[in-house]
Amino acid sequence: MNDETFLNERIEVLAAYGDGLNPCRPLKFKQPNGREVTVREIGLRYPSAQGKRTLHIFDVTDGSADYRLEFDSERLTWHLTREGDHYAA
Amino acid sequence: MRPDYNDETPIVMHVDLNSAFASIEQQARPMLRGRPVAIVNRRTEHTSIVTASYEAKALGVKVGMLFTEAARLAPGLIAIESEPEKYRFVYKKLTKILNSYSPNVTMKSIDEGVIDFHGVINCRPIEEIGLEIKQRLRDEVGRAMRCNIGIGPNRFLAKTAAGLHKPDGMDVIDHNNLRDVFAKLTLTDLTGIAEHNWARLHSVGIDTPLQFLDSDVVTLQKIVFKSIVGQHWYQRLRGWEVDDRVFDMKRVGRQYVLEDRDLTRTQIMQRLHHLCESAGSRMRSQNKVARGIYVYAKTPDHRYWHASKLTQLPFYSDKTIYSLAERLFIGAPDSIREIGVHCYGLSNDNDRQTSLFGDILVREHQLVDAIDEINRRYGERTLHSADTLRTGTFVKQKIPFGSTRFL
Repeated sequence: MNDETFLNERIEVLAAYGDGLNPCRPLKFKQPNGREVTVREIGLRYPSAQGKRTLHIFDVTDGSADYRLEFDSERLTWHLTREGDHYAA
Repeated sequence: MRPDYNDETPIVMHVDLNSAFASIEQQARPMLRGRPVAIVNRRTEHTSIVTASYEAKALGVKVGMLFTEAARLAPGLIAIESEPEKYRFVYKKLTKILNSYSPNVTMKSIDEGVIDFHGVINCRPIEEIGLEIKQRLRDEVGRAMRCNIGIGPNRFLAKTAAGLHKPDGMDVIDHNNLRDVFAKLTLTDLTGIAEHNWARLHSVGIDTPLQFLDSDVVTLQKIVFKSIVGQHWYQRLRGWEVDDRVFDMKRVGRQYVLEDRDLTRTQIMQRLHHLCESAGSRMRSQNKVARGIYVYAKTPDHRYWHASKLTQLPFYSDKTIYSLAERLFIGAPDSIREIGVHCYGLSNDNDRQTSLFGDILVREHQLVDAIDEINRRYGERTLHSADTLRTGTFVKQKIPFGSTRFL
């Protein structure tokens, strides 16, 4: 089975906003334990409709683990909701 | 070339995402790339595999296999629970890309679509467009995304071409290379030829695609398929279009494999109730009403039980669907591993006041419409029966295979 950890932690994120196909790009975030993670690649960004509210899901990696960040476009908050390194057999 | 082959320039393109759900997960989670991945519908050891990555397929993992069995073949196999919302997003991206090339695009399922370039003015070379679609998929979805592209004079040959070189291939089948391509395939490589049709063909000595191609129309129509289907196959194999058709929705439903074999009858009925709500919501999303209800149950020893009822008046609400299903389910066996419900006898919901009970039906419609609107506005299953309060943990929204109506 996959070894993902499910979380729901409000976090601080440093993001860049620009143009192009991915106008919002999280660059760094701070895990609840204070460790700073640098985003090396955004795997996929997709919207998730919660009724009329939209969450933007960012599946990202720092090169050693995958993370899921969720940006609430109404409340302007970021949450870390998953972590997984997929190495467990 | 034989005179009855379609010799027009092939301008039908079939685009197929490779091992779609596994590829999307590998795109989304870069740590999964290059590793054997299996997409499953549940995070349990006894779940079946919905899709496998190419790395897993290379180790012998097949769709439908139990995860435990697959994990023995592919040590280190990673099971990822399916996330339909993510796949739906990629489906919409793919649809948008395909629609930018022709007004005649048909999405065949969540991971494949057909572009028909007939009637497109000043069309660029099709293979150039194919390469561009591959690049746009990488740019607009992600760099790990790959797709197979097949080009042919009709939908069937385009799909056949798309399956020739996986992953990331692009092939053309036309009247010049048709026989060469068929010479390298088996009958079951052809879309639409599975066990049943293979047996029909085999019974008259047709064992290869070339023999199938060389069969005359009378043999196919009168002896093999015993219907117009034989003539369709005769034309389809020669590159003539017979598959550009849209089929009406005949039924709508859902099924569920119970998460536990020891559930009480009440718990099973709650899950059936959840399925009824889900089927009702899908039916109403297509602006349909039903007159028939069908329920079934499969037992752990692979027995199949079913019951159905056709009503005088059309029905529409979750409450009525469940009420009918509940009554039918009284006859279901005690020991159950899978349940399902389908609404059939569908018609358009545009005739609300023609019965003696018109006002009752109108009131029911208004109430159901209000509930649906709340669920649209505040999220799926915001408002539902108290009976299904805890079932959402188990009976989740899953990947809709086949039809793209509910995407």
